[in-house]
Amino acid sequence: MAFKIASSPHVSTSLHTNTVMKRVALCLIPGLVVQSYYFGFGTLIQLLLAVSTAYLAEAAVMKLRNKNIKATLSDNSALVTAVLLAVAIPPLAPWWLIVIGTLFAIVIVKQLYGGLGNNVFNPAMAAYVLLLISFPVQMTSWIAPQTIALNHADILSSLFSIFEFRHSFLAEHFQLSIDGTTMATPLDTLKTDLSMGLTTTESMTKPIFSGMAAEGWFWVNMAYLIGGAIMLKLKVIRWHISIAILASLFVCASFGYLISPDTFVSPLMHLFSGGTMLAAFFIATDPVTAATSPRGRLIFGAMIGVLIYVIRTFGGYPDAVAFAVLLANMCAPFIDYYVRPRSYGHRTGN
Amino acid sequence: MLTLLEQLDKGFLWQSPGGIHPPQLKTLSNQSAISRLPLAKRFIVPVPLVGEQAILTVSVGDKVLKGQALTEGSGFTYLPVHAPTSGHIIAIEQHASNHASALPILSCVIEADGLDTWCELTSNSLEQLSKTEILSKIKQAGIAGMGGAAFPSHVKLNPASEIDLVIINGIECEPYITSDDRLMRDHSDEILAGVGIIHHLLNPQRIIIAIEDNKPEAAKNMQAAIERSSLPKGQIRVTVIPTKYPSGGEKQLIQIITGKEVPSGAIPAQLGIVVHNVGTAYAIQDAIYHGKPLVERVVTLTGENIAKPGNYWLPLGTTVADALQAVDFKPSTQQKVIVGGPMMGYALADLDVPILKGTNCLLVPSPEEIAPDTTEKACIRCGECAVACPALLLPQQLFWHAKAQEYDKAASFNLKDCIECGCCSYVCPSDIPLVEYYRVAKSALKTAAEEKHQAEQAKIRFEARLQRLEDEKNAREAKAKEAAAKRQANMKSSDKDAVAAAMARIAAKKAQAESNTSVSEAPTVTTQTAIDPKKAAVNAAIERAKAKKAAQADTSNVKAADHTDALLDNINADDVKTDDKQAKVAAAIARAKAKKAAQANDVISSQTDAITGSEHNKDQVTPPDDKQARVAAAVARAKAKKLAQAAASSSATDPIATPDANVPTESTDATDASADHSTEPLTPSNTIEPQTADSSVSDKQARVAAAVAKAKAKKLAQVAAGTSATDPIATPDANVPTESTDATDATDASADHSTEPLTPSNTIEPQTADSSVSDKQARVAAAVAKAKAKKLAQVAEDNQDQSLENQHNEQHNEQHTEMSTALSPEQAKKAKVAAAVAKAKAKKLAKSAEQEEQ
Repeated sequence: MAFKIASSPHVSTSLHTNTVMKRVALCLIPGLVVQSYYFGFGTLIQLLLAVSTAYLAEAAVMKLRNKNIKATLSDNSALVTAVLLAVAIPPLAPWWLIVIGTLFAIVIVKQLYGGLGNNVFNPAMAAYVLLLISFPVQMTSWIAPQTIALNHADILSSLFSIFEFRHSFLAEHFQLSIDGTTMATPLDTLKTDLSMGLTTTESMTKPIFSGMAAEGWFWVNMAYLIGGAIMLKLKVIRWHISIAILASLFVCASFGYLISPDTFVSPLMHLFSGGTMLAAFFIATDPVTAATSPRGRLIFGAMIGVLIYVIRTFGGYPDAVAFAVLLANMCAPFIDYYVRPRSYGHRTGN
Repeated sequence: MLTLLEQLDKGFLWQSPGGIHPPQLKTLSNQSAISRLPLAKRFIVPVPLVGEQAILTVSVGDKVLKGQALTEGSGFTYLPVHAPTSGHIIAIEQHASNHASALPILSCVIEADGLDTWCELTSNSLEQLSKTEILSKIKQAGIAGMGGAAFPSHVKLNPASEIDLVIINGIECEPYITSDDRLMRDHSDEILAGVGIIHHLLNPQRIIIAIEDNKPEAAKNMQAAIERSSLPKGQIRVTVIPTKYPSGGEKQLIQIITGKEVPSGAIPAQLGIVVHNVGTAYAIQDAIYHGKPLVERVVTLTGENIAKPGNYWLPLGTTVADALQAVDFKPSTQQKVIVGGPMMGYALADLDVPILKGTNCLLVPSPEEIAPDTTEKACIRCGECAVACPALLLPQQLFWHAKAQEYDKAASFNLKDCIECGCCSYVCPSDIPLVEYYRVAKSALKTAAEEKHQAEQAKIRFEARLQRLEDEKNAREAKAKEAAAKRQANMKSSDKDAVAAAMARIAAKKAQAESNTSVSEAPTVTTQTAIDPKKAAVNAAIERAKAKKAAQADTSNVKAADHTDALLDNINADDVKTDDKQAKVAAAIARAKAKKAAQANDVISSQTDAITGSEHNKDQVTPPDDKQARVAAAVARAKAKKLAQAAASSSATDPIATPDANVPTESTDATDASADHSTEPLTPSNTIEPQTADSSVSDKQARVAAAVAKAKAKKLAQVAAGTSATDPIATPDANVPTESTDATDATDASADHSTEPLTPSNTIEPQTADSSVSDKQARVAAAVAKAKAKKLAQVAEDNQDQSLENQHNEQHNEQHTEMSTALSPEQAKKAKVAAAVAKAKAKKLAKSAEQEEQ
């Protein structure tokens, strides 16, 4: 009889790429829930839009590339990209924003570079930056946390807002109520206030900064932190990048805050507002676009942390996660090339 | 700070990086003691070293006893192979090997007689033997590392440097395998006895028996055995290490036990450490104390498709099929039969392959047990492979480069330090067969390195050859001037001077008359043509002079020949008898050829030199370079096929070139053998050599070359042809009375005359050598030669164009210009006149030779 030939090893782990991706997506659920609690159903609608666009786009590209559509879709990487983009953009942003962003992320950033494993940039962040630069107004009008909002955006008004049914009476009604709820993010507010000559303490008296760091945002970040901790526990990600980001951001922020508390934002504010935790655990840890060796990952993470701080403090944009991640992505191959572990039996690297 | 020895004594352990924890599944096979299976009927014993380091001591049909050595050999790493049972050798053939490739390998097939009779065994005690004797016994017992690599143990037991630490490897980190586990449980005292021998040989400061903590019984038994043994207490201990794959790897084990890393490319002995497997220790005591060679080993037969998994003593050479059948193997579809463990073992395609010294496990898993193959997916650069790598490599970078076939880049990531443990593939979430990529890359690098090495060698050879040719050319040019001067002197003193001069004048005039049309030729050409006719005339004169002298010198030549023969006796006594005969044969053939060849010489004789000729000659003047000559022969043989005609003509020379010249029968063989010459007849320029500067190769050189060639000729009839080039050089010298010994040299050196048919001057030779010839063989040879010479003549004519080109390359005959009298520079065709003269003479000579022959 014929015997099966195979190369050693003949056993392997059951943890496969699709499982890894699925776990990443599942670990995003706590953050998603908290975000929806504070910012309404908009995020969930964006999520559905993003996921369906992502899968359609991926399938179309696979069809064009004559590849196995099912095998590619089942690796769940498109799912993760879609979810990350959906939670990153304003909940009530118009539908075409997320569709454009997702298409760009999947088709251009990922598939045109050769598909999973070959993309240089984090697809979700590249798409985010595209949207931020192209549609700054839509991308910066974030919804107010429901705890301080005058009108709460319910599911229906969110739908009308996202799909821009402006012409009916009903739509106008909801639109009005929605408009009253959008506002700048805490980091944006702070930046504007600082540029207007206010001190951080004065600015922080605004209702948006109620709570631990900023209303809603603190708990959203906390939820992503919990999700990240679960991923660490499940060994879906390694700790190096996340800890390096948080540590370097904390060190930079502490340094600035100690020098001039009035003009620099507190470390706590930096760590628990904006997309810090999301970036530290879910975005920067994307293995494809990160450095690979443990030491390289520490450098990669530290670089993101510093860049986030520098851009937030001195740059033109209130939040900096996407830019920082993309800049670090560019450096990843460089880091990998120069940061090689010392192999067994070798005195130094190389 | 504790010293290393103190730390070793405390059982301090270091951390080995990476590693994995695959499911163990050892309990499947380690529940019962090692047992035996019924003896198989047929055994396959590979003898891979035969032909390299060893010879077979048995042949088909021989009766062999269990433990009888089948091979005999020498060499540091040579290991004898023994018959695993008593029986008969029924075949010695190429048989599929127990290797992933299953490539066939020379094997003895033994049919067991079922008696399993041992050959005579001698027991020894350690005190009776010196260390050298012990090592020799270990070697003669054929003991190789039993952990899988099967490296000859005596080599590791005889290190160049001092050994401080011996680690006895009982780790057995592969899931499933339990052969060492069971051996330690069942034969701990025997293993300790083997350890005692190792201790005796290496005298290390410490011996550590390392066992993973998943084998507590083995550790307990070994500890108890240590208590019972007579080995010095405190120097030997059992160290239990945590279970982690691949802790059993030599480098990893050393790191865990001592914290040291074996430097890349080095061996542990350089750290004063040697690692031996427990199975090896067992085999060593069996060899020394019982005199038993290594003919059986413990093999774990396991997997869910085996009804009776366990450990069994299997004679080496038992086929995998027999072994599995004996334990009720039930193959499933898509069955994998893995030799070794699931991590590093290889799957067999053919089960009719033998158990080897390093075969520690046969694993036949059910499909549920070991997952079916998965398809490779995209690498997501997760880096888990780097985390798992015990060699601290970057498997993912290696993979990118290996996949892109950028093997040099892969090498720069220390690919060679990969131990192929499989941890990276095991953890890969994308199911990439990383190890397979590395194997391909490694073998590609190995091949490239070999090719590079060979290219470098070739370059060195080539440059050396160029240098040598350059030197030889210079030497020849120097000689040429000398010889030319000498000839000039001879001419003047000769009473033939006047005749020669007259002939030359006549030739020159005729040539002048014929070549009026070529006045407008380019200056360089005209200069050369001026030389040509003059030289041709001179040549003609020389020939005539030679003819007479040579005839007179005949008897003295024979004497000289005898003399040279005597000299050559020292080199090859066997050839002496043939020499004389050959000289005659050669002469006869040459004479016959000359007749025909002369007709073809219009152009050739007008040609005064040949750069190509001399170059060609250079190529040929290399008899000492045996290899090169062979290469040349091979090349020439290839050419010979194309140039059937040329080859045919050259074959005529062969009976002469071959020392054993049996003329009529050898002529066909000769076609091949003389392939070296096949180009020569095509190179008319060679014919000029005798008359020109190229004759300058010193007597000594020619003689040495001839002698060397003759010595070789026996072995390499073809190569003898290589000497031919020296002969034409030596031959013309023979015609000058003062150098007459050369003529005999030339003839002696199996008298290669491949160029002679084209050389009018050589027509004299028949007279020199042949006056006394009335040999039947010579006549036959002559007949053959004549027939061939006809063809040759045609070939020579075909080459007229070529030779004309050579004319323009003429560089060496300036000395002759000095001799020119009143010749106008444009007399290109005078050469023809000279040739005609030569031709006529050659005809006459040939005719007279023929008459003489009859």
